[in-house]
Amino acid sequence: MPTAQELPDGVRQAVARAAPGSEIRIAAASDLAADRRFGERWFVLAGERVLVLAPNGSDAEVTVDLPLSDIKEAECEVLVGGGMLQAVIKGRKVDLLPYTNALAERFGTVRGQLDAAAKGKPIPPAREKRNRCPSCGLILGEETRACPRCVRKGAVLRRLLSYARPYRGLLWLVGILMLAGTTFGLASPYITKLVLDEAFPHRNGVLLAWLVIAMAASSVLSTLLGIWRARVGAWVGGRISFDIRATLYERLQWLSMRYFDRHPTGAIISRLTQDSGGVQDFLAFGLPWIGSNVVMVGGVTAMVFYINWKLALLVLIPAPFVSYFALHVWHKMHLVYHRFWYRWSRFYAISADALSRVKIIKAFSQQPHEINRFAVRNADLFGASVFAEQTWGTYMPLIGLLIGSGSLLVWYFGGLIIVGRGPMTVGDLIAFLGYLGMLYGPLNALTQGAQWMPRALTAAERIFEVLDAESESEKGRGDVVPDNIRGEVEFRNVTFGYEKHHPVLKDVSFKVERGHMLGLVGKSGAGKTTVINLLCRFYDVDEGEILVDGVSLRDLDLSFYRGRLGAVLQEPFLFSGTIAENIAYGRPDATMEDIMAAAKVANAHDFIVNKADGYDEQVGDQGGRLSAGEKQRVCIARAILHDPAILILDEATASVDLETEAQIQEAVARLIAGRTTFAIAHRLSTLRNASNLLVVDEGKVAEFGTHEELEAKKGVYQRLLEIHRKTSMTTALGR
Amino acid sequence: MGDAETKIGETTAAAPEATSAEAGAAPGLRYLEPSQVRVFRTENGQVRTTIGDERSIIAPRFLRACPLRDPDRYISIREADPNGKEVGLLHRWRQLDRESRELVQAELDRRYLYPVLRRIVSSKHVFGVTICVFETDRGVREVTLRDIRDNVIYLGSSRILITDAEGNRYDIPDVDALDATSRALLTQIL
Repeated sequence: MPTAQELPDGVRQAVARAAPGSEIRIAAASDLAADRRFGERWFVLAGERVLVLAPNGSDAEVTVDLPLSDIKEAECEVLVGGGMLQAVIKGRKVDLLPYTNALAERFGTVRGQLDAAAKGKPIPPAREKRNRCPSCGLILGEETRACPRCVRKGAVLRRLLSYARPYRGLLWLVGILMLAGTTFGLASPYITKLVLDEAFPHRNGVLLAWLVIAMAASSVLSTLLGIWRARVGAWVGGRISFDIRATLYERLQWLSMRYFDRHPTGAIISRLTQDSGGVQDFLAFGLPWIGSNVVMVGGVTAMVFYINWKLALLVLIPAPFVSYFALHVWHKMHLVYHRFWYRWSRFYAISADALSRVKIIKAFSQQPHEINRFAVRNADLFGASVFAEQTWGTYMPLIGLLIGSGSLLVWYFGGLIIVGRGPMTVGDLIAFLGYLGMLYGPLNALTQGAQWMPRALTAAERIFEVLDAESESEKGRGDVVPDNIRGEVEFRNVTFGYEKHHPVLKDVSFKVERGHMLGLVGKSGAGKTTVINLLCRFYDVDEGEILVDGVSLRDLDLSFYRGRLGAVLQEPFLFSGTIAENIAYGRPDATMEDIMAAAKVANAHDFIVNKADGYDEQVGDQGGRLSAGEKQRVCIARAILHDPAILILDEATASVDLETEAQIQEAVARLIAGRTTFAIAHRLSTLRNASNLLVVDEGKVAEFGTHEELEAKKGVYQRLLEIHRKTSMTTALGR
Repeated sequence: MGDAETKIGETTAAAPEATSAEAGAAPGLRYLEPSQVRVFRTENGQVRTTIGDERSIIAPRFLRACPLRDPDRYISIREADPNGKEVGLLHRWRQLDRESRELVQAELDRRYLYPVLRRIVSSKHVFGVTICVFETDRGVREVTLRDIRDNVIYLGSSRILITDAEGNRYDIPDVDALDATSRALLTQIL
């Protein structure tokens, strides 16, 4: 990928004048002028000259011109609503050019490029992640590539229908039922015609009886077929979306952590619920509905032309206009109701918010304030609902009137034919009117279908996007399955950043012997958690490698490896279910004896048995409450039962009473015995017990050694320890 | 243990790098009088602030304490480092001497880039996004709004903040003060 954006002519000429004959190494446009108004500015590194240019008609003015050799480092200052690219010159930060939030990422890359250039390193390529449709430039949603304007409707529809292939037979059945049902439905007005034209004039009671029976039969059959069709259709549609949801969920479980970083949970959940719901609506109701309406419109048109083609032409003239008007009204109603629902959701949000905080509201005696807030939203909602209902109540009768006007035409012109003894009977006229009544509904439906279709296809595309995203199991999964993991871990020159241009760990190397415990120490944000994330292979290293028992992590079978990892995290997490299920989470085949043994070792058995439901006590979301200390011990029991070769321990910072603390400590000590342990340590005792301490500072290994060695060194660790002692002393006093 | 209750009166001298678990001095705000504060440029062009005879800060940062509701009321003067400490809260900063005032204003202008919306020129809804032309105090810009519901903040009864799809935020200080067309378009958008 290139390191420079394409320069406009004026800017290119100005660059050529300022730095004749130089190669353009970096070029990027900003969207703010020097006075911070919106405007265009260019940052260019041409040869050894750093330039900032302001385009000025067909020319450009050079506003900054520096030799690259002056620049020691490049930085981005984060401002409110944007940022500033800066160069460090003689220890001073010099502003180069500002940009808005829209370009923060671009200039993050430019910073990295300029920094590399200043330090004589190769310039990394620009990675424009701005989420625009590559073909039309429309800004897209959260990390989606599905552009509603450019979505290849045919391809998506084909792929969507490929999910229908297993149910081909049933779909054919639906189609046949649809056709048959419509045919019977169309019979009714024609029989009316026969009654009027044949039975009445000839006073034929027997024929009348037969015709009425036929009429009854056709409507009963049409209804029954309709019911059958709807039931089969609902099953097929539901089943296809069931398949899609299952595939989607399975896929989500295997997606890489990077995917989850880039996509907020809410966005992913919306794909699972809303998008798949949209697809289901489309498949279960939309397609059959559109299909049956097409058949209906076709059938009705054929019948009216059969009865009297001239009158049919006349009557169908207003149809496009009525449809257009109806479409317009639908669009308006959509907006109106959209606003109404939006008000609803805000109303709902404020109510839910207040009710979930009842205690706090009461404690601060803010009821009147809350009632007031509620009243404002309630009034908003009232206004929107009145507006929506009134608009609906106004336009719907108008559409009805318009549609009715078609029948007036039939009455008059059809009547004229009859009065003039033309080739039309009263029966024809009545049948004609009957068909006309059947025409406008489906026509209306089809115009709506036209709007429905793109929405459903975009939803489908968004789902396919997840299905096509890179999953961790595919990306260099590794196939080495050793007999066992002994637990010798080595980080070798590891460099890693969640975004590649912004490394969080820089050239980190250390080694942990089997069964030893490594304490990770450092300020928050130093990179401790990143070390753990890499060890779990939630992410792959950018440079260097991690070796487990001498095998590169990339080569190890991921599932096997993760199965030999265990973690006790700061925030003890329990799933919804019983305590026993929670303990057995990593080993579903464990017996009750195993579970109790693990709980006993974790000092959890006694409190569990004391619960009313013992090991069957429900915990998690809807379950009973466990105290922080109890949750900790359930999690420790889970790790003990899991029996990992490598253990990750993120010590809790939450304070519990001294006795519980002692019990947890004891449980942890039993857990870590004999296992390679990575501990993010907060307790002095843990630091002392660790075989080695790794002090991380700003992504680099600051110090490595035993507690005693590092204490003697009087460096970063010693200072952290000093603070720690102070706070724990005051905490102890505070108790 | 990190969030220990710190004891009042302990010194920080022994732990210069401590930030999170620091045993700090009694927390109290320091208000600076305009007469105490001088802001000027040094010979090499850097901004520098002196607080009486007591302190001198090179390249300080000036942050608004309430940038939305009361942008000019309290200005936090901070050390240059992004994690640097507050030197003091300057109120009534418009009473600074002229040079200081201009420099503070320039620093604030440099930092606070969010535009204020003056007029909505046009808006159209296409393919699930709304493309609007906003006229702001920083000029005219075409913006793309997406998932509007999640990107609108209502402050009080008539102030609205809209964040566009690219992360830029537009401030509408008083909806009722907009012209009728803008108001109608805004109602349509929201």
